[in-house]
Amino acid sequence: MTTPLLPTTTVGSFPKPEYLLTARTQYARGQITRDQLKRLEQQATTEWIRTQEELGIDILVDGEMYRGDMATYFAENLEGTKISGLVRSYGNRYYRKPVVVGPLRRPRAITVEWFEFVQRQTKKPVKGMLTGPYTMMDWSFDENYPNRRACAIAFAEVIRQEAEDLQRAGAQYIQIDEPAVSVRPEEMDLAIETMGLVTKNLRAKTITHICYGDFEQIYPKLLQIPVDQIDLELANSNFDLLELFKRSPFTKEIGLGVVDVHSHRVESEEFVIAGIRRALKVLKPEQIYVDPDCGLKTRTPQEAIDKLRVIVNATRKVRQELEVAHV
Amino acid sequence: MIFTVVGNYPKIPNAPRPAKLRQAITRFQGGELTQAELARVEGEVTEEVIREQEAVGLDLLTDGHIRWEDPATYFARGIDGFEISGLIRYFDTNVYYRQPVVTRALGWKGPITVKDLQFAKRVTNKPIKAVITGPFTLARMSRNTHYSTLEALVMDLAKILRQEALALQAAGAAWIQFDEPWLVRAKQDFPIVQRAYTVLTEGLTTKQTLLCTYFGDVQGLPPAFFKLPVGGFGLDFVTTTGNFDLLKRQAWPKDKWLAGGIVDARNTRMQNFEELERAFGQLTAVLPAQQLHISPHCGLEFLPREVAYAKLEQMVKSLRQGVPVL
Ligand SMILES: [Zn+2]
Repeated sequence: MTTPLLPTTTVGSFPKPEYLLTARTQYARGQITRDQLKRLEQQATTEWIRTQEELGIDILVDGEMYRGDMATYFAENLEGTKISGLVRSYGNRYYRKPVVVGPLRRPRAITVEWFEFVQRQTKKPVKGMLTGPYTMMDWSFDENYPNRRACAIAFAEVIRQEAEDLQRAGAQYIQIDEPAVSVRPEEMDLAIETMGLVTKNLRAKTITHICYGDFEQIYPKLLQIPVDQIDLELANSNFDLLELFKRSPFTKEIGLGVVDVHSHRVESEEFVIAGIRRALKVLKPEQIYVDPDCGLKTRTPQEAIDKLRVIVNATRKVRQELEVAHV
Repeated sequence: MIFTVVGNYPKIPNAPRPAKLRQAITRFQGGELTQAELARVEGEVTEEVIREQEAVGLDLLTDGHIRWEDPATYFARGIDGFEISGLIRYFDTNVYYRQPVVTRALGWKGPITVKDLQFAKRVTNKPIKAVITGPFTLARMSRNTHYSTLEALVMDLAKILRQEALALQAAGAAWIQFDEPWLVRAKQDFPIVQRAYTVLTEGLTTKQTLLCTYFGDVQGLPPAFFKLPVGGFGLDFVTTTGNFDLLKRQAWPKDKWLAGGIVDARNTRMQNFEELERAFGQLTAVLPAQQLHISPHCGLEFLPREVAYAKLEQMVKSLRQGVPVL
């Protein structure tokens, strides 16, 4: 199946349906078994595959029904880690932070089974989704390695193994998220170095998602991250980020975030069309993939679906304009 | 020598101990608890964290900032002219805070933290340190849509927070600490800080005041930094080695205290006895122990409660009694 111009995709996570949230609580309390929980995770995953196909999204994701936090999930599946007590992230929200307590090792593939489960059910390409080494390091306590670089390099090795296994399983797109790199511009070189360790043997298209930061601080250095595509949030700053590309051209493919994932309000098609058109002034159509700003897991399922429908419809209209112009 | 904490203390313990405050806030948000009932739980938890600080043997306590949602919002809500907006990242941490927005000229509404100090003083006989987010840091954490310059905003905040400091002094705060982590990030703004602290400390008669920095060192600040009108300076000896270098290079001002943050409050790894002794030794090499506060390098909320407790216990046992812990 060929991918059209301006392919539509998503950043990774979708909201978990009510029955799965309930089941996760029950599992945490020991009221249901691991197998019972897994069956519901599979059910929810299959529902999201159907939904993405019905909406007409071009590159699918598994929706991360089986993951809690994006760092904790991988840490739980590695040797050399444990999970800490609760720490507060803001307001009344707490999370368990991974702790690196020994040499990191990946005893077995982590996400490949889920990738295969999803790819079996669709003809469209499915993205493999990983958390990058710099972010894993930055979001963990480290009691083992001598410094941040050593810890990030150790994470890079296990993530490289996972990425190569995904490629072997047939993944044409592998996304390695680094939301933490925007926070410490002075460590950009470390993020670039460790991403290079992960992607060096990959032929699949590689993508990284970056968010929550002051991009002016890290642009254009950001473009040195050794991936094919960088996925950025643009809608929540009203596409003003595109102004940066006038000064210094964006030389990779871009995942163009066109809807804000933190707002309940569903954007209008006009807003998204205007955003894509504005992007086309500073980018070539072949460079652009269209998606939401970030993972949609904090929205309700209906809000997520409504936002995705706007993305697909708006993109189709712009695509038609481009094709007409081409003829 | 005074063993103390920089400021906040983890709000909830881990199982099997109940996460009382977390549950209470959830119920308050769901309309099941009144404001007064929530305040009662905040009081209970404050007492709990004061008992923990007593139990490890600290000499100078804080109330743990249990009532603070974050260092900006708690003060901004108490000052006229601020609105509270969306979440943004707190320095280079995984923690977020709600950004205050300056919408008009700021004004003093009355004491913000005095009732917290009074509460803590009723609960313990140990001296209490009151902490104020300093005018420069509060300004830099906010979005300014009113004042024409950063300096104008900082100066107005200095006038307002001076009233807070005077009220805390009158209410019997043993120490008053101004937190200025933003200063290590924006050293070029030192002249503004210098002018602000003249205003901020005017009329304060207590000598027991601190300007506290963390998340980096103060290397590169002009010598006038150590002449600011405060009783001492809080320095971070964990994030970088810069402050150790600085101590080697220049004499510590005779009349100032040094509050040394030598315990790593951002990682669960326990430092061993030798590491702590070595850091401690570099401080006592340049000034007498009577001029020292010893503490973690920043607030303890980045750690799970039990790890925070273990780190404080290790700090006091190792360095006061010379008993190697770990
Ligand atoms: Zn994101």
